[in-house]
Amino acid sequence: MELFIQQLVSGISIGAIYSLLAVGYALVYSVYNFTNWAFDGFMAFGAFMAFTGITSLFMPFWLAALLSIVLTVILSVGTEKLAYNPLRVRKAPRLFMMISAMGVNLATVNIINLIYGGTFRKFPVDNLQPIFIKGVSIGRMDLMAGGISFGVLALLWIFLYRTKWGLGIRASSIDILTASLMGINNNAVAMIVFAITGVLSSVAGVFYGIKYAVFPMMGVVTIKAMIASIVGGLGSLPAAIVGSMILGILETLVSGYISSTYRDLFSFLFLIIILLFFPNGLMGKSSDEKL
Amino acid sequence: MTETTPMLDIKDLVVHYGGICALNQVSLHVNKGEIISVIGANGAGKSTLMKSIVAVKSFTSGAITFEGQPLKKEPHDVIKDGITLAPEGRRIFSPLSVRENLMAGAYTRTDRREIESTMEEIFELFPRLKERINQRGGTLSGGEQQMLAVGRALMSRPKLLMLDEPSLGLAPIVINLMFETIVRLNQQLGLTILLVEQNASLALEICQRAYVLKTGTINMEGTGQDLLHDERVMQSYLGIAK
Repeated sequence: MELFIQQLVSGISIGAIYSLLAVGYALVYSVYNFTNWAFDGFMAFGAFMAFTGITSLFMPFWLAALLSIVLTVILSVGTEKLAYNPLRVRKAPRLFMMISAMGVNLATVNIINLIYGGTFRKFPVDNLQPIFIKGVSIGRMDLMAGGISFGVLALLWIFLYRTKWGLGIRASSIDILTASLMGINNNAVAMIVFAITGVLSSVAGVFYGIKYAVFPMMGVVTIKAMIASIVGGLGSLPAAIVGSMILGILETLVSGYISSTYRDLFSFLFLIIILLFFPNGLMGKSSDEKL
Repeated sequence: MTETTPMLDIKDLVVHYGGICALNQVSLHVNKGEIISVIGANGAGKSTLMKSIVAVKSFTSGAITFEGQPLKKEPHDVIKDGITLAPEGRRIFSPLSVRENLMAGAYTRTDRREIESTMEEIFELFPRLKERINQRGGTLSGGEQQMLAVGRALMSRPKLLMLDEPSLGLAPIVINLMFETIVRLNQQLGLTILLVEQNASLALEICQRAYVLKTGTINMEGTGQDLLHDERVMQSYLGIAK
Protein backbone atom coordinates (compact mmCIF):
# COMPACT_ATOMS: atom_id res chain seq x y z
CA MET A 1 0.00 0.00 0.00
CA GLU A 2 2.82 2.41 0.89
CA LEU A 3 4.52 1.62 -2.38
CA PHE A 4 1.32 2.26 -4.29
CA ILE A 5 0.83 5.68 -2.67
CA GLN A 6 4.44 6.61 -3.31
CA GLN A 7 4.03 5.61 -6.93
CA LEU A 8 0.81 7.55 -7.18
CA VAL A 9 2.38 10.75 -5.85
CA SER A 10 5.31 10.34 -8.20
CA GLY A 11 2.87 9.68 -11.05
CA ILE A 12 0.88 12.80 -10.26
CA SER A 13 4.02 14.95 -10.25
CA ILE A 14 5.24 13.59 -13.58
CA GLY A 15 1.68 13.93 -14.87
CA ALA A 16 1.74 17.57 -13.80
CA ILE A 17 4.93 18.16 -15.81
CA TYR A 18 3.35 16.45 -18.82
CA SER A 19 0.32 18.68 -18.30
CA LEU A 20 2.42 21.82 -18.73
CA LEU A 21 3.82 20.51 -21.99
CA ALA A 22 0.51 19.11 -23.24
CA VAL A 23 -1.26 22.39 -22.50
CA GLY A 24 1.48 24.21 -24.40
CA TYR A 25 0.89 22.02 -27.43
CA ALA A 26 -2.88 22.25 -27.11
CA LEU A 27 -2.82 26.04 -26.84
CA VAL A 28 -0.80 26.55 -30.02
CA TYR A 29 -2.74 23.83 -31.81
CA SER A 30 -6.11 25.28 -30.88
CA VAL A 31 -5.29 28.76 -32.19
CA TYR A 32 -2.95 27.99 -35.09
CA ASN A 33 -3.77 24.40 -36.00
CA PHE A 34 -0.22 23.18 -36.11
CA THR A 35 1.98 21.16 -33.79
CA ASN A 36 4.72 23.32 -32.37
CA TRP A 37 7.61 20.87 -32.44
CA ALA A 38 10.00 23.60 -31.34
CA PHE A 39 8.55 23.12 -27.87
CA ASP A 40 10.92 20.21 -27.39
CA GLY A 41 13.99 22.42 -27.81
CA PHE A 42 12.45 25.22 -25.70
CA MET A 43 12.11 22.81 -22.82
CA ALA A 44 15.77 21.79 -23.00
CA PHE A 45 16.72 25.45 -23.39
CA GLY A 46 14.73 26.31 -20.27
CA ALA A 47 16.42 23.58 -18.25
CA PHE A 48 19.90 24.60 -19.43
CA MET A 49 19.32 28.27 -18.67
CA ALA A 50 18.33 27.46 -15.09
CA PHE A 51 21.28 25.05 -14.87
CA THR A 52 23.67 27.77 -16.07
CA GLY A 53 22.14 30.29 -13.70
CA ILE A 54 22.91 28.08 -10.73
CA THR A 55 26.28 26.62 -11.75
CA SER A 56 27.96 29.54 -13.57
CA LEU A 57 26.17 32.60 -12.22
CA PHE A 58 25.75 31.19 -8.68
CA MET A 59 22.13 32.22 -8.50
CA PRO A 60 19.73 30.78 -5.97
CA PHE A 61 17.26 28.29 -7.44
CA TRP A 62 14.27 30.63 -7.69
CA LEU A 63 16.30 33.36 -9.43
CA ALA A 64 17.74 30.86 -11.90
CA ALA A 65 14.22 29.58 -12.58
CA LEU A 66 13.04 33.14 -13.18
CA LEU A 67 15.97 33.77 -15.55
CA SER A 68 15.06 30.59 -17.39
CA ILE A 69 11.42 31.67 -17.76
CA VAL A 70 12.37 35.12 -19.09
CA LEU A 71 14.88 33.77 -21.62
CA THR A 72 12.60 30.97 -22.79
CA VAL A 73 9.75 33.44 -23.30
CA ILE A 74 12.09 35.57 -25.41
CA LEU A 75 13.11 32.52 -27.44
CA SER A 76 9.49 31.43 -27.92
CA VAL A 77 8.19 34.86 -28.91
CA GLY A 78 11.25 35.37 -31.11
CA THR A 79 10.51 32.10 -32.88
CA GLU A 80 6.93 33.26 -33.49
CA LYS A 81 8.19 36.58 -34.91
CA LEU A 82 10.92 35.10 -37.12
CA ALA A 83 9.74 31.62 -38.03
CA TYR A 84 5.93 31.47 -37.80
CA ASN A 85 4.58 34.97 -38.33
CA PRO A 86 6.15 35.46 -41.79
CA LEU A 87 4.57 32.17 -42.90
CA ARG A 88 1.21 33.05 -41.44
CA VAL A 89 1.19 36.46 -43.07
CA ARG A 90 1.79 34.77 -46.44
CA LYS A 91 -0.98 32.28 -45.66
CA ALA A 92 1.38 29.32 -45.97
CA PRO A 93 -0.08 25.82 -45.47
CA ARG A 94 -0.02 24.45 -41.95
CA LEU A 95 2.52 21.83 -42.91
CA PHE A 96 5.07 24.58 -43.55
CA MET A 97 4.60 25.88 -40.01
CA MET A 98 5.25 22.41 -38.64
CA ILE A 99 8.39 22.00 -40.72
CA SER A 100 9.56 25.42 -39.65
CA ALA A 101 8.96 24.36 -36.03
CA MET A 102 11.02 21.22 -36.58
CA GLY A 103 13.82 23.35 -37.99
CA VAL A 104 13.79 25.64 -34.97
CA ASN A 105 13.83 22.57 -32.76
CA LEU A 106 16.83 20.99 -34.50
CA ALA A 107 18.72 24.27 -34.37
CA THR A 108 17.97 24.83 -30.68
CA VAL A 109 18.89 21.31 -29.58
CA ASN A 110 22.08 21.28 -31.64
CA ILE A 111 23.23 24.70 -30.46
CA ILE A 112 22.75 23.52 -26.87
CA ASN A 113 24.69 20.36 -27.72
CA LEU A 114 27.49 22.43 -29.27
CA ILE A 115 27.83 24.69 -26.26
CA TYR A 116 27.26 22.28 -23.39
CA GLY A 117 28.07 18.90 -24.91
CA GLY A 118 25.78 15.90 -24.94
CA THR A 119 26.44 14.57 -21.45
CA PHE A 120 23.80 14.02 -18.81
CA ARG A 121 24.04 16.45 -15.92
CA LYS A 122 22.48 16.34 -12.54
CA PHE A 123 20.43 19.43 -11.86
CA PRO A 124 22.23 21.22 -9.03
CA VAL A 125 19.62 21.43 -6.31
CA ASP A 126 20.24 20.51 -2.70
CA ASN A 127 19.55 16.92 -1.93
CA LEU A 128 16.04 17.23 -0.72
CA GLN A 129 15.14 14.71 1.93
CA PRO A 130 11.79 13.09 1.32
CA ILE A 131 9.14 13.74 3.89
CA PHE A 132 7.42 10.84 5.62
CA ILE A 133 3.71 10.78 6.18
CA LYS A 134 2.52 7.66 7.99
CA GLY A 135 5.43 5.62 6.66
CA VAL A 136 4.98 6.83 3.08
CA SER A 137 7.99 8.69 1.75
CA ILE A 138 7.13 11.54 -0.56
CA GLY A 139 9.78 13.39 -2.52
CA ARG A 140 9.86 17.10 -1.83
CA MET A 141 10.65 17.71 -5.48
CA ASP A 142 7.57 15.71 -6.47
CA LEU A 143 5.46 17.90 -4.24
CA MET A 144 7.07 21.06 -5.54
CA ALA A 145 6.83 20.00 -9.19
CA GLY A 146 3.21 19.02 -8.75
CA GLY A 147 2.29 22.08 -6.72
CA ILE A 148 3.96 24.66 -8.92
CA SER A 149 2.78 23.02 -12.14
CA PHE A 150 -0.81 23.04 -10.97
CA GLY A 151 -0.33 26.61 -9.76
CA VAL A 152 0.86 27.65 -13.22
CA LEU A 153 -2.08 25.85 -14.84
CA ALA A 154 -4.53 27.52 -12.46
CA LEU A 155 -3.09 30.95 -13.32
CA LEU A 156 -3.38 30.12 -17.00
CA TRP A 157 -7.01 29.11 -16.50
CA ILE A 158 -7.78 32.40 -14.76
CA PHE A 159 -6.01 34.28 -17.52
CA LEU A 160 -7.91 32.50 -20.29
CA TYR A 161 -11.35 32.55 -18.68
CA ARG A 162 -11.39 35.70 -16.57
CA THR A 163 -9.51 38.33 -18.55
CA LYS A 164 -10.12 40.26 -21.73
CA TRP A 165 -6.90 38.95 -23.30
CA GLY A 166 -8.00 35.44 -22.48
CA LEU A 167 -11.30 36.05 -24.22
CA GLY A 168 -9.35 37.29 -27.23
CA ILE A 169 -7.30 34.09 -27.31
CA ARG A 170 -10.37 31.90 -26.95
CA ALA A 171 -12.23 33.81 -29.67
CA SER A 172 -9.17 33.47 -31.93
CA SER A 173 -9.04 29.74 -31.30
CA ILE A 174 -12.64 29.41 -32.46
CA ASP A 175 -12.52 31.64 -35.52
CA ILE A 176 -9.48 33.76 -36.13
CA LEU A 177 -11.02 35.79 -38.96
CA THR A 178 -14.10 36.76 -36.99
CA ALA A 179 -11.85 37.52 -34.03
CA SER A 180 -10.05 40.09 -36.13
CA LEU A 181 -13.44 41.57 -37.12
CA MET A 182 -13.95 42.19 -33.38
CA GLY A 183 -10.74 44.19 -33.35
CA ILE A 184 -8.72 41.43 -31.72
CA ASN A 185 -5.17 41.99 -32.87
CA ASN A 186 -3.95 38.67 -34.28
CA ASN A 187 -0.30 39.53 -33.80
CA ALA A 188 -0.82 40.50 -30.17
CA VAL A 189 -2.67 37.23 -29.56
CA ALA A 190 0.22 35.32 -31.13
CA MET A 191 2.72 37.10 -28.89
CA ILE A 192 0.73 36.19 -25.78
CA VAL A 193 0.17 32.58 -26.84
CA PHE A 194 3.87 32.05 -27.50
CA ALA A 195 4.88 33.85 -24.32
CA ILE A 196 2.64 31.45 -22.37
CA THR A 197 4.20 28.57 -24.30
CA GLY A 198 7.63 29.82 -23.25
CA VAL A 199 6.67 29.90 -19.57
CA LEU A 200 5.17 26.41 -19.74
CA SER A 201 8.17 24.86 -21.47
CA SER A 202 10.65 26.53 -19.13
CA VAL A 203 8.87 25.38 -15.95
CA ALA A 204 8.46 21.87 -17.36
CA GLY A 205 12.12 21.79 -18.41
CA VAL A 206 13.37 22.81 -14.99
CA PHE A 207 11.27 20.25 -13.12
CA TYR A 208 11.95 17.49 -15.59
CA GLY A 209 15.66 18.29 -15.29
CA ILE A 210 15.44 18.04 -11.52
CA LYS A 211 13.53 14.77 -11.61
CA TYR A 212 15.74 13.08 -14.19
CA ALA A 213 18.71 14.87 -15.75
CA VAL A 214 19.65 17.86 -17.87
CA PHE A 215 20.80 16.97 -21.39
CA PRO A 216 20.27 18.43 -24.87
CA MET A 217 17.87 15.72 -26.01
CA MET A 218 15.74 15.89 -22.87
CA GLY A 219 12.95 17.52 -24.85
CA VAL A 220 12.20 14.20 -26.51
CA VAL A 221 9.89 13.66 -23.56
CA THR A 222 7.50 16.17 -25.15
CA ILE A 223 6.39 13.27 -27.35
CA LYS A 224 4.76 11.96 -24.16
CA ALA A 225 2.94 15.25 -23.76
CA MET A 226 1.84 14.88 -27.37
CA ILE A 227 0.48 11.42 -26.58
CA ALA A 228 -1.22 12.82 -23.50
CA SER A 229 -2.95 15.59 -25.41
CA ILE A 230 -4.10 13.15 -28.11
CA VAL A 231 -5.36 10.71 -25.46
CA GLY A 232 -7.25 13.55 -23.82
CA GLY A 233 -8.52 15.11 -27.04
CA LEU A 234 -6.44 17.36 -29.25
CA GLY A 235 -6.78 21.10 -28.88
CA SER A 236 -8.63 21.09 -25.56
CA LEU A 237 -6.83 22.25 -22.42
CA PRO A 238 -8.76 20.31 -19.77
CA ALA A 239 -8.44 17.20 -21.96
CA ALA A 240 -4.69 17.73 -22.19
CA ILE A 241 -4.44 17.83 -18.41
CA VAL A 242 -6.61 14.73 -17.94
CA GLY A 243 -4.59 12.83 -20.56
CA SER A 244 -1.33 13.87 -18.90
CA MET A 245 -2.39 12.77 -15.46
CA ILE A 246 -3.56 9.39 -16.75
CA LEU A 247 -0.33 8.89 -18.67
CA GLY A 248 1.90 10.03 -15.79
CA ILE A 249 0.24 7.71 -13.30
CA LEU A 250 0.16 4.81 -15.76
CA GLU A 251 3.87 5.19 -16.44
CA THR A 252 4.98 5.25 -12.83
CA LEU A 253 2.77 2.30 -11.98
CA VAL A 254 4.22 0.33 -14.88
CA SER A 255 7.77 1.29 -13.79
CA GLY A 256 7.03 0.37 -10.19
CA TYR A 257 5.16 -2.88 -10.63
CA ILE A 258 6.31 -4.25 -13.99
CA SER A 259 9.55 -2.75 -15.28
CA SER A 260 10.76 0.68 -16.23
CA THR A 261 12.11 -0.87 -19.44
CA TYR A 262 8.55 -1.38 -20.64
CA ARG A 263 7.32 2.04 -19.58
CA ASP A 264 7.29 3.60 -23.05
CA LEU A 265 5.90 0.44 -24.58
CA PHE A 266 2.89 0.80 -22.32
CA SER A 267 2.53 4.51 -23.12
CA PHE A 268 2.31 3.87 -26.84
CA LEU A 269 0.15 0.78 -26.42
CA PHE A 270 -2.19 2.89 -24.32
CA LEU A 271 -2.35 5.52 -27.07
CA ILE A 272 -3.21 2.89 -29.68
CA ILE A 273 -5.94 1.35 -27.54
CA ILE A 274 -7.47 4.71 -26.71
CA LEU A 275 -7.49 5.79 -30.34
CA LEU A 276 -9.08 2.48 -31.40
CA PHE A 277 -12.06 3.10 -29.14
CA PHE A 278 -12.04 6.90 -28.89
CA PRO A 279 -10.76 8.28 -32.20
CA ASN A 280 -11.15 11.86 -30.89
CA GLY A 281 -9.47 11.10 -27.59
CA LEU A 282 -11.20 10.54 -24.25
CA MET A 283 -12.71 14.01 -24.05
CA GLY A 284 -12.59 14.83 -27.74
CA LYS A 285 -15.47 17.11 -28.57
CA SER A 286 -16.85 18.68 -31.68
CA SER A 287 -14.22 20.54 -33.59
CA ASP A 288 -15.73 23.97 -32.87
CA GLU A 289 -15.19 23.52 -29.17
CA LYS A 290 -11.63 24.24 -28.25
CA LEU A 291 -9.64 25.39 -25.26
CA MET B 1 -14.07 67.47 -42.21
CA THR B 2 -16.50 69.63 -44.14
CA GLU B 3 -20.21 68.96 -44.48
CA THR B 4 -19.84 67.67 -47.99
CA THR B 5 -17.14 65.11 -47.26
CA PRO B 6 -18.68 61.64 -47.17
CA MET B 7 -18.12 59.51 -44.10
CA LEU B 8 -16.84 56.63 -46.20
CA ASP B 9 -15.45 57.30 -49.63
CA ILE B 10 -14.27 54.56 -51.95
CA LYS B 11 -12.58 55.49 -55.21
CA ASP B 12 -11.66 53.12 -58.04
CA LEU B 13 -11.19 50.15 -55.75
CA VAL B 14 -9.53 47.11 -57.36
CA VAL B 15 -9.25 43.87 -55.40
CA HIS B 16 -7.70 40.60 -56.53
CA TYR B 17 -7.74 37.06 -55.19
CA GLY B 18 -4.54 35.74 -56.69
CA GLY B 19 -4.95 36.40 -60.39
CA ILE B 20 -8.71 36.75 -60.24
CA CYS B 21 -10.15 40.24 -60.16
CA ALA B 22 -12.97 40.38 -57.60
CA LEU B 23 -13.64 44.11 -57.66
CA ASN B 24 -12.82 46.36 -60.57
CA GLN B 25 -12.83 50.16 -60.32
CA VAL B 26 -15.53 50.29 -57.69
CA SER B 27 -16.43 53.74 -56.43
CA LEU B 28 -19.06 54.49 -53.83
CA HIS B 29 -19.63 56.75 -50.91
CA VAL B 30 -21.65 56.74 -47.72
CA ASN B 31 -22.74 59.99 -46.06
CA LYS B 32 -23.22 60.34 -42.35
CA GLY B 33 -26.68 59.22 -41.25
CA GLU B 34 -27.52 57.31 -44.43
CA ILE B 35 -28.58 53.74 -45.01
CA ILE B 36 -26.83 52.59 -48.17
CA SER B 37 -27.59 49.25 -49.77
CA VAL B 38 -25.39 47.28 -52.10
CA ILE B 39 -27.29 44.61 -53.97
CA GLY B 40 -26.07 41.99 -56.35
CA ALA B 41 -26.06 38.30 -57.14
CA ASN B 42 -23.81 35.62 -55.66
CA GLY B 43 -20.18 36.23 -56.49
CA ALA B 44 -20.71 39.84 -57.50
CA GLY B 45 -18.08 40.90 -54.98
CA LYS B 46 -20.31 42.19 -52.18
CA SER B 47 -18.54 40.38 -49.36
CA THR B 48 -15.14 41.24 -50.82
CA LEU B 49 -16.15 44.89 -50.68
CA MET B 50 -17.05 44.56 -47.00
CA LYS B 51 -13.81 42.77 -46.21
CA SER B 52 -11.78 45.47 -47.93
CA ILE B 53 -13.50 48.18 -45.89
CA VAL B 54 -12.52 46.48 -42.60
CA ALA B 55 -8.98 45.84 -43.92
CA VAL B 56 -9.31 42.07 -43.66
CA LYS B 57 -8.72 41.91 -47.42
CA SER B 58 -6.06 44.15 -48.91
CA PHE B 59 -6.74 45.96 -52.15
CA THR B 60 -4.62 46.21 -55.27
CA SER B 61 -5.31 49.83 -56.13
CA GLY B 62 -7.73 52.63 -55.47
CA ALA B 63 -8.42 54.47 -52.24
CA ILE B 64 -10.68 54.15 -49.24
CA THR B 65 -11.07 57.08 -46.89
CA PHE B 66 -13.03 57.15 -43.65
CA GLU B 67 -13.92 60.55 -42.18
CA GLY B 68 -11.46 62.15 -44.53
CA GLN B 69 -8.52 59.95 -43.44
CA PRO B 70 -7.06 57.07 -45.44
CA LEU B 71 -8.29 53.72 -44.12
CA LYS B 72 -5.97 52.09 -41.58
CA LYS B 73 -4.11 48.96 -42.63
CA GLU B 74 -5.00 46.67 -39.72
CA PRO B 75 -8.54 45.50 -38.89
CA HIS B 76 -8.21 46.36 -35.20
CA ASP B 77 -7.26 49.95 -36.06
CA VAL B 78 -10.19 50.27 -38.46
CA ILE B 79 -12.57 49.02 -35.78
CA LYS B 80 -11.12 51.45 -33.25
CA ASP B 81 -11.82 54.22 -35.75
CA GLY B 82 -15.49 53.25 -35.77
CA ILE B 83 -16.30 50.77 -38.54
CA THR B 84 -17.67 47.32 -37.74
CA LEU B 85 -18.89 44.45 -39.82
CA ALA B 86 -21.52 41.89 -38.86
CA PRO B 87 -20.22 39.22 -41.22
CA GLU B 88 -22.08 37.00 -43.63
CA GLY B 89 -23.35 33.82 -42.04
CA ARG B 90 -23.30 35.51 -38.60
CA ARG B 91 -20.12 33.73 -37.46
CA ILE B 92 -21.07 33.58 -33.81
CA PHE B 93 -18.40 32.18 -31.50
CA SER B 94 -20.56 29.14 -30.81
CA PRO B 95 -18.73 27.70 -27.76
CA LEU B 96 -18.78 31.11 -26.04
CA SER B 97 -21.78 32.40 -24.09
CA VAL B 98 -23.97 35.21 -25.41
CA ARG B 99 -22.32 37.51 -22.89
CA GLU B 100 -18.81 36.51 -23.98
CA ASN B 101 -19.76 37.00 -27.62
CA LEU B 102 -20.91 40.53 -26.82
CA MET B 103 -17.78 41.22 -24.75
CA ALA B 104 -15.66 40.10 -27.69
CA GLY B 105 -17.43 42.79 -29.73
CA ALA B 106 -16.28 45.39 -27.22
CA TYR B 107 -12.67 44.21 -27.41
CA THR B 108 -11.22 47.50 -28.63
CA ARG B 109 -12.92 49.51 -25.90
CA THR B 110 -11.22 50.41 -22.65
CA ASP B 111 -14.09 52.16 -20.84
CA ARG B 112 -15.12 49.22 -18.73
CA ARG B 113 -18.16 50.67 -17.01
CA GLU B 114 -19.56 52.08 -20.23
CA ILE B 115 -19.38 48.65 -21.84
CA GLU B 116 -22.01 47.35 -19.41
CA SER B 117 -24.39 50.16 -20.33
CA THR B 118 -23.89 49.47 -24.05
CA MET B 119 -24.80 45.88 -23.31
CA GLU B 120 -27.99 47.05 -21.60
CA GLU B 121 -28.86 49.13 -24.68
CA ILE B 122 -28.41 46.05 -26.84
CA PHE B 123 -30.65 44.03 -24.53
CA GLU B 124 -33.32 46.72 -24.95
CA LEU B 125 -32.99 46.32 -28.69
CA PHE B 126 -33.00 42.50 -28.54
CA PRO B 127 -34.64 41.40 -25.26
CA ARG B 128 -34.27 37.80 -26.39
CA LEU B 129 -30.50 38.03 -25.96
CA LYS B 130 -30.88 38.99 -22.32
CA GLU B 131 -32.93 35.86 -21.67
CA ARG B 132 -30.15 33.81 -23.22
CA ILE B 133 -27.21 35.65 -21.69
CA ASN B 134 -25.44 32.61 -20.25
CA GLN B 135 -26.36 30.24 -23.04
CA ARG B 136 -23.75 29.16 -25.55
CA GLY B 137 -23.96 31.09 -28.81
CA GLY B 138 -24.18 27.89 -30.82
CA THR B 139 -27.42 26.86 -29.12
CA LEU B 140 -29.33 29.94 -30.32
CA SER B 141 -31.77 29.82 -33.21
CA GLY B 142 -30.79 31.37 -36.53
CA GLY B 143 -32.73 34.56 -35.82
CA GLU B 144 -31.26 34.89 -32.34
CA GLN B 145 -27.79 34.34 -33.75
CA GLN B 146 -28.35 37.15 -36.22
CA MET B 147 -29.47 39.40 -33.35
CA LEU B 148 -26.32 38.41 -31.50
CA ALA B 149 -24.17 39.14 -34.56
CA VAL B 150 -25.68 42.63 -34.88
CA GLY B 151 -25.53 43.18 -31.13
CA ARG B 152 -21.90 42.11 -31.07
CA ALA B 153 -21.09 44.52 -33.88
CA LEU B 154 -22.82 47.33 -31.97
CA MET B 155 -20.76 46.65 -28.84
CA SER B 156 -17.84 48.58 -30.27
CA ARG B 157 -20.11 51.65 -30.61
CA PRO B 158 -19.44 52.03 -34.32
CA LYS B 159 -19.99 55.15 -36.38
CA LEU B 160 -20.53 53.00 -39.45
CA LEU B 161 -22.23 49.63 -39.13
CA MET B 162 -21.84 47.24 -42.03
CA LEU B 163 -24.18 44.29 -42.37
CA ASP B 164 -23.38 41.47 -44.75
CA GLU B 165 -26.53 39.54 -45.71
CA PRO B 166 -28.44 39.90 -42.44
CA SER B 167 -31.45 38.10 -43.96
CA LEU B 168 -29.51 34.98 -44.93
CA GLY B 169 -31.31 31.79 -43.95
CA LEU B 170 -33.92 33.51 -41.77
CA ALA B 171 -37.70 33.08 -41.70
CA PRO B 172 -39.62 35.99 -43.31
CA ILE B 173 -41.04 37.17 -39.99
CA VAL B 174 -37.55 37.30 -38.47
CA ILE B 175 -36.24 39.10 -41.54
CA ASN B 176 -38.88 41.79 -41.10
CA LEU B 177 -37.96 42.21 -37.45
CA MET B 178 -34.31 42.48 -38.41
CA PHE B 179 -34.96 45.17 -40.99
CA GLU B 180 -37.21 47.10 -38.62
CA THR B 181 -34.34 47.10 -36.16
CA ILE B 182 -31.93 48.32 -38.82
CA VAL B 183 -34.23 51.25 -39.63
CA ARG B 184 -34.62 51.98 -35.92
CA LEU B 185 -30.87 52.02 -35.39
CA ASN B 186 -30.59 54.50 -38.21
CA GLN B 187 -33.50 56.78 -37.31
CA GLN B 188 -33.32 56.76 -33.53
CA LEU B 189 -29.60 56.48 -32.92
CA GLY B 190 -28.45 58.14 -36.11
CA LEU B 191 -26.22 55.23 -36.97
CA THR B 192 -24.83 55.17 -40.50
CA ILE B 193 -25.41 51.81 -42.13
CA LEU B 194 -23.94 50.06 -45.15
CA LEU B 195 -26.06 47.07 -46.02
CA VAL B 196 -25.20 44.28 -48.41
CA GLU B 197 -28.10 42.09 -49.44
CA GLN B 198 -29.35 39.52 -51.88
CA ASN B 199 -32.89 40.24 -50.75
CA ALA B 200 -33.02 43.25 -53.05
CA SER B 201 -36.60 44.43 -52.48
CA LEU B 202 -36.16 44.84 -48.73
CA ALA B 203 -32.73 46.36 -49.07
CA LEU B 204 -33.96 48.91 -51.60
CA GLU B 205 -37.05 49.78 -49.56
CA ILE B 206 -35.22 50.85 -46.43
CA CYS B 207 -32.22 52.60 -47.97
CA GLN B 208 -31.71 56.17 -49.10
CA ARG B 209 -29.38 55.24 -51.92
CA ALA B 210 -28.23 51.96 -53.40
CA TYR B 211 -25.58 50.50 -55.66
CA VAL B 212 -25.94 47.47 -57.88
CA LEU B 213 -22.81 45.36 -58.00
CA LYS B 214 -22.41 43.03 -60.94
CA THR B 215 -19.35 40.83 -61.47
CA GLY B 216 -17.08 43.16 -59.60
CA THR B 217 -18.21 46.51 -61.00
CA ILE B 218 -20.86 49.06 -60.02
CA ASN B 219 -23.52 48.53 -62.61
CA MET B 220 -26.09 51.06 -61.45
CA GLU B 221 -26.67 53.50 -58.67
CA GLY B 222 -29.54 55.65 -57.50
CA THR B 223 -32.04 56.19 -54.76
CA GLY B 224 -33.70 53.12 -53.35
CA GLN B 225 -37.05 54.09 -54.85
CA ASP B 226 -35.61 54.73 -58.30
CA LEU B 227 -33.93 51.35 -58.39
CA LEU B 228 -37.03 49.59 -57.07
CA HIS B 229 -38.89 50.82 -60.13
CA ASP B 230 -36.06 50.32 -62.59
CA GLU B 231 -36.92 47.71 -65.19
CA ARG B 232 -33.49 46.10 -65.28
CA VAL B 233 -33.36 45.83 -61.50
CA MET B 234 -36.86 44.42 -61.45
CA GLN B 235 -35.95 41.73 -63.94
CA SER B 236 -32.56 40.76 -62.59
CA TYR B 237 -32.92 41.18 -58.84
CA LEU B 238 -36.57 41.42 -57.91
CA GLY B 239 -37.81 38.57 -60.08
CA ILE B 240 -40.49 40.71 -61.68
CA ALA B 241 -40.84 40.13 -65.43
CA LYS B 242 -42.39 42.74 -67.62
